[in-house]
Amino acid sequence: MPYYPEMTVIQGFAAVVRTRKLPPHAIADAPQVVLNEPVDAVQTVLAGEILGDYHIIDVAAELRVKNPTPQRMDEILRVDEGMRVQFGQELARVGKGRRTRVLYAPLEGVVTAIMGNRLVLQESRQTIEVKARVPGQVSAADTHQVTISGRGALIQCAWGNGRYAYRAYRFLPPDGFAGLSKMDPRISEYRNVVIISPAPINMGDLLVAQQQEVAGVVAPSMSADLREFAMQLTFPVLLTEGFGQRRPTTLLYRLLQENMGRQAAFDAVLPERWAEDRPEIMIPLPAEGVAPPAPSPDQALLVGTQVRITRAPWDGLVGTIEALPAAPQVLENGLRVPCAQVRLSADRIVPVPLANVELLG
Amino acid sequence: MAEQDTSSILVADLGSVHTRLLLLDLVEGQYRLVAASRARTTAEPPLSRVALGLEHAAAQMAEFTGHTLLDPQGQQMFLPENEHGQGVGAFLATSSAGRPMRVFLVGLTRELSLEAAQHALAGSYVTITDTLTPDDARSEEAQINALLNSNSDMIFIVGGTDDGAEELVKQLLAKVELALSLVHRGTPPTVLFAGNQVLRRAVKARLEQYTSVFTTKNVRPTAQEEQLFPAQIELALVYDEYRSKSAGGFDAVGRQSDVGLVPTTQGYISAMRYMAALPGPGIGPLCVDVGSANSLIIAGVEREPIYTIRTDLGVGHNIVRALETVTPARVQQWLPFEMDDEWLRNYAHNKALRPATVPATTEELLIEQALAREIVRELVTDARPLWGTGESALLPHFHPIIAAGAVLTETQHPAVAAMLLLDALQPVGLVDLYLDPHNLIASLGVVAYLRPLVTVQALENGGLVHLGTAFCPLGRVRKGRKAIKVQIRYGNKQKLTHTVRGGEIWRAPLLPGEPVEVRIQLSRGLSFGGKRRLKRRLVTGVAGLIFDARGRPLAMPRPRDRAAQLMAWLQAMSAPMQPAPLPEEELPEEALLPSLEDLTPEALAVLSEEE
Repeated sequence: MPYYPEMTVIQGFAAVVRTRKLPPHAIADAPQVVLNEPVDAVQTVLAGEILGDYHIIDVAAELRVKNPTPQRMDEILRVDEGMRVQFGQELARVGKGRRTRVLYAPLEGVVTAIMGNRLVLQESRQTIEVKARVPGQVSAADTHQVTISGRGALIQCAWGNGRYAYRAYRFLPPDGFAGLSKMDPRISEYRNVVIISPAPINMGDLLVAQQQEVAGVVAPSMSADLREFAMQLTFPVLLTEGFGQRRPTTLLYRLLQENMGRQAAFDAVLPERWAEDRPEIMIPLPAEGVAPPAPSPDQALLVGTQVRITRAPWDGLVGTIEALPAAPQVLENGLRVPCAQVRLSADRIVPVPLANVELLG
Repeated sequence: MAEQDTSSILVADLGSVHTRLLLLDLVEGQYRLVAASRARTTAEPPLSRVALGLEHAAAQMAEFTGHTLLDPQGQQMFLPENEHGQGVGAFLATSSAGRPMRVFLVGLTRELSLEAAQHALAGSYVTITDTLTPDDARSEEAQINALLNSNSDMIFIVGGTDDGAEELVKQLLAKVELALSLVHRGTPPTVLFAGNQVLRRAVKARLEQYTSVFTTKNVRPTAQEEQLFPAQIELALVYDEYRSKSAGGFDAVGRQSDVGLVPTTQGYISAMRYMAALPGPGIGPLCVDVGSANSLIIAGVEREPIYTIRTDLGVGHNIVRALETVTPARVQQWLPFEMDDEWLRNYAHNKALRPATVPATTEELLIEQALAREIVRELVTDARPLWGTGESALLPHFHPIIAAGAVLTETQHPAVAAMLLLDALQPVGLVDLYLDPHNLIASLGVVAYLRPLVTVQALENGGLVHLGTAFCPLGRVRKGRKAIKVQIRYGNKQKLTHTVRGGEIWRAPLLPGEPVEVRIQLSRGLSFGGKRRLKRRLVTGVAGLIFDARGRPLAMPRPRDRAAQLMAWLQAMSAPMQPAPLPEEELPEEALLPSLEDLTPEALAVLSEEE
């Protein structure tokens, strides 16, 4: 009976297609990119504005209009629905000469509605810019979303702190963060580069990274208690495995090792259940031949498939499916669940619950 | 007389982690569960198409039943039933997957209207974002901003008894209308009105130009009366519309279902309405479901389902919030090993990253089971005031008790599942324990919308797993002292006696489905409804019979004894069936039962020949 496991992409060379979107309630600016044109990872591909609170202004009351008929209000108002207004801009005017009374916009925003003698102004809250985050070519674009197609090595991670960097990276020195802490940040070769730590990190390590002005940190895991702290850091923190003391996936770190010296996009997206983006590292590679298409996430588990084990006691290990027994197997803890026989080494085959393996794309 | 519909029924339950599929069909003139399958739910990115998981489950079911379910032409998802018995007569779907619906409550009074609205919502997967009443101290501007900035999916308007207050409700409607008229980008929230019936037309007329408007009967037609059922039915329709619009491709499944996509809880409520009406010991049935993202408890009290759902408690997607709510200390009291808070938090965060995974080590399994116990206790704490069964800290005499959700139904041994229920609920008296590993109850509740007879027959025809009867006397005896003297007589006149001591839980090693006579003698300090002697004829379940002498309320071990005591309880429940220990009293040697391990088909054949 086929089983369709989850998938994590760890690929040396892949077609990477990413769609960037403005929030649905944002007001989009003019297009920032041109179809089929190349874009840099840090380039703005979409821009817009998000409006904030509504302000209800009783125009008649403010201007002391005694008989605010629709015609009278038409005469008084100096703005229309949908019009953008600046702070201090004239919204309405009544009277002449010395008796003139003027209502000015109390804030910058948009006239959302005019209802009788009331005017609703929605304040401008923030302008937003959406970056490409991966280098490539614009393959589709409209006012609210842009699709970018690139190619390179792709490593999907478990967690990110919501930050981003497009930088070169280096592995930690042999003496780890302790060694890094002794360096002079002004001349350190680790300054402004992303640090790759093949061992779990702790609070002290993050403080050293901050002090050394690194551009980011990639590690297998850290304590979940450090999440809040990590999210306040200005540089990306990417965890490849999860939280606590987790074993690194060798394959992943080998891939990073093989591409040392290149710049990479470290997109430490905070994982969210219904969001399409996952935290990931993309190392752009020169276009040599046709990149394999992005793997389909709906693939059945087959004998011979390479998988990563996601739960203890074999978490982080990569193996090959040796057999898929039809009957459920009894685990060490007594649970009887559908399992795969996974070959971890030449002489070691272990039963692993199907739910605890993921395909490696 | 119309011809009775005898077609098969396929029911899907789209859970946060698993998509379960059940096939109900006629067997010897009665409907029963004939097949069940399960696949991973595929609603979340990158797949974002819940129908895919459903197709996987259907293909799996077809493989082991030989029953073609999916339409090979691909014109529709399921093949209509044909004369060869292939295909599906009816397809129904429930769902608990997806983000809970965000609801903004608008009502006349907090004590009456909003309370009734909250009772109506209690059976749905919702989060209440904010409330608005006439006595709201915020400015009108702030109220409008609250309505719009809450990102609510639905505005639920209640208030005014029928023929009661109108003007204040109209003022609230005006605010809602103003807020809706300002939504120019994104999707406006749906409106459900269940207030003063005089205003139904006015609500439609004022608000329908801005959004979808549902109206139904008043949740509080008079000051004394609550009328929740019509609002719950309408809520199910709103939920169906909400789910159809949500990410995950739920609309494709909803279109296939004869009743749309019904919240799983509504299925539970519907089924419990039937089960609560059945005669039986106790005040009614009790069902607990601990899922990945949501958990619920539903009880039949005075023939009415009383339910509490928590969309923030689960052992997968919501494990982090569950751990925060129940606190690590409460989880640790169920662990027979030392585990610091940080380790537990790391565990929870890892599980939340990969909620579909299962614990593969003993430590991790025990952590999840510990958390499940505390989630159930939290549900009981929430539900107890609604039951109206008094102030006692003990569980009212619910019977039977049914557990659903993988963490409760998939354990190392069925008796461990029974112990989890006993630990978490601490029932008193004699109670039958059941497992619902296929979410049959919720599915049958939805079937009852169309064909109630199928629900009745399928429930009676054993779709649930009977764990067995648990004997849980009230009171306590000191640890190690004689507590329950048990004598079990089998149909073949063989006899087993055993003394359960204070602080112990004992599983009588019996084969399932065996009719037995049980005689109980309790020590001083313990009782079943004031009696110390009891005789019952019973049929054993898959966990045999369970005798719990750990006391009610349950006496938790002291910290220094905790590891040993918890392991002893666990071993008593999960150890392979052994011959019963020799009692102090004389026991004829032939009364000893063989262990389950000894009962291979060959051994059973020999035994039956001997008999």
